[in-house]
Amino acid sequence: MNEALLLMKPELIVTVIIFILLILHVARENSSPAYLLNLINGLLFINFLCGFFFNREGTLFGDMYVTNGLIVLEKNILNLGMLLISLQATDWLKKKDFIVEFYVLLLTTLLGMFFMLSSNNLLMFYLGLELSSIPLAALANFELEKRKSSEAAMKFIMSSAFSSGLLLFGISMLYGTTGTLNFAQLAMLIDGNPLQLFSFILLLAGFGFKISAVPFHLWTADVYEGSPVAVTSYLSVISKGAILFVMASVLFTVFKPLVETWYNMLYLLAVLTMIIGNLFAIRQQNLKRFLAFSSIAQVGFILIGMSGSSQEATASVIYFVLIYVFSNLGAFGVIALVSAQTGKEEIDDYKGFYLSNPMLALVMTLSLFSLAGIPPTAGFFGKFFLLMAGAGKGNFVLITIAALNMVISLYYYLRIVKVMFMEKNETPMEKLQISLFPRISLLTCMAGIILIGFTTLLYDYIFSLSTSF
Amino acid sequence: MLTSAFYFIAFVTIFFAIMVVVSKNPIHSVLYLVLTFFCISANYIFMLDATFVGMVNVIVYAGAIMVLFLYVLMMMNLNAIAEQKRSVLFKISAAVTGGMLLLVLVAALKDANLQIQGSALEAEQRIGSIKVLGYVLYSKYQLPFEVASILFLVAMIGAVVLGKKDNSTKTIGIEPVK
Repeated sequence: MNEALLLMKPELIVTVIIFILLILHVARENSSPAYLLNLINGLLFINFLCGFFFNREGTLFGDMYVTNGLIVLEKNILNLGMLLISLQATDWLKKKDFIVEFYVLLLTTLLGMFFMLSSNNLLMFYLGLELSSIPLAALANFELEKRKSSEAAMKFIMSSAFSSGLLLFGISMLYGTTGTLNFAQLAMLIDGNPLQLFSFILLLAGFGFKISAVPFHLWTADVYEGSPVAVTSYLSVISKGAILFVMASVLFTVFKPLVETWYNMLYLLAVLTMIIGNLFAIRQQNLKRFLAFSSIAQVGFILIGMSGSSQEATASVIYFVLIYVFSNLGAFGVIALVSAQTGKEEIDDYKGFYLSNPMLALVMTLSLFSLAGIPPTAGFFGKFFLLMAGAGKGNFVLITIAALNMVISLYYYLRIVKVMFMEKNETPMEKLQISLFPRISLLTCMAGIILIGFTTLLYDYIFSLSTSF
Repeated sequence: MLTSAFYFIAFVTIFFAIMVVVSKNPIHSVLYLVLTFFCISANYIFMLDATFVGMVNVIVYAGAIMVLFLYVLMMMNLNAIAEQKRSVLFKISAAVTGGMLLLVLVAALKDANLQIQGSALEAEQRIGSIKVLGYVLYSKYQLPFEVASILFLVAMIGAVVLGKKDNSTKTIGIEPVK
């Protein structure tokens, strides 16, 4: 088979699925939602499986596109998350008109993330980033009759346009000082003169917006609250995960000569992100807003791991994002079910949730335990490896601050558990129907949270793929 | 000769750019912005010999985008009185932040080694002509070009979806009249 086709396999499969959907929409306009959803989830499952076979390493298009074992693994993680979200969203999508459009937009963002992960050039990176964020604004507005949804889309497109502007300004000045956009050549030419430092700060600010690190986080809560649950989970897991992967690779390859500089910046960002994210998460009443701030706090921990700038750092960031996919999607899966069937999203609505829906309450509890990092669950090991990677630099003040923040985060995660299990409710939620697709998705999440905690094979595998710094 | 022409165009560009910010009337601002874009295009055409890029800049920015801007502004009927008053503290902090950014940028540019950029430009002679641009676009930058086309397609699909009405709430389960 043609080598070039195999190298670009993940992108090509996603493109083919997009084309199938577009043609299907024109050819069979009156397909029933159930048929469409079965078909699409089947295609996504095939897409996920294909990620494990015929993987090659190499570059294409004159060094524009690069792929290796690590990038393939990152794409597989994103594919898995995409499949889980799609399975969870079936209840909500059944009532919607625009199923095909929803998936076309969602899959294009995935395609953009794939190009971004495989980029070996700042131009490709920028295009991938735009491709992965512009369709998301339309998706955030998918509850067409709700005002809050439009507000979310507006805030999202504004903040993403602003951050892209900063990023482009940084890229153009970097090009001005080096005369190249290629990652490998940039790494050789960067010598840390003031203009390059200035452009680096702009690039980091652009990244900061996309991962919602603290001085740049103001859009996050409103967008997460207003968007439909499926889009919120996509934003908080897939989008953020992809950008964290790229951020790690850009910092570790292109800006390797500036490591002393960006260590201090990441230090500051990580501390601010953890503290502000945690303090605001404590006072939230809406569950989606709550998870928005919790995800901000999690990014703070990831930044600590990234600041370690070593082989462990790369491995721990990817490992944590994989665990974060399972634990956050577990929590969002429950919220999606509740929201699609009852429309309730406030924390107070979950009072006495355990009495009517014991299984869902258990899933939620396990996910929250994993997010908080309580030992038998995978989240503990994820955070453990992140802090270990961060400690490699010998800065124990940072690690102490992180440990204290983990204690604070325990309070608000357990508050939700307490509400579900111990508080009385006069009007408890009725027993919810869990159809097959969400059931599979939730079971996968639970299996991931429990099993990853018991074996080190996965971490060793990721570690062996990561390049040394 | 070329240097003095550059200084002249650059001065006019900056003058119009300042007028965009200073004008009280939003419509005047937009018109000054059109002039700014014209000046930038002049820079492309005369200084960099990039005729095609300069033309496209005029057509797209000064033509299409600015007309849309004007259209929106006139529809919203904004005027000078509608502008809300900012507090003094806000103005001072904005001036300090902007001034610091300018200071850092000037200091960074002063020490920057821009020699490399000059040599890169000399290597690709007449970078802006259509022939060279087309050649580079379909050989070296083929992949970004294709990705950009996907981006436009999806932006269009997204806009169409947002423009449509959601009919799912009213017609479920109702048979059409035969």
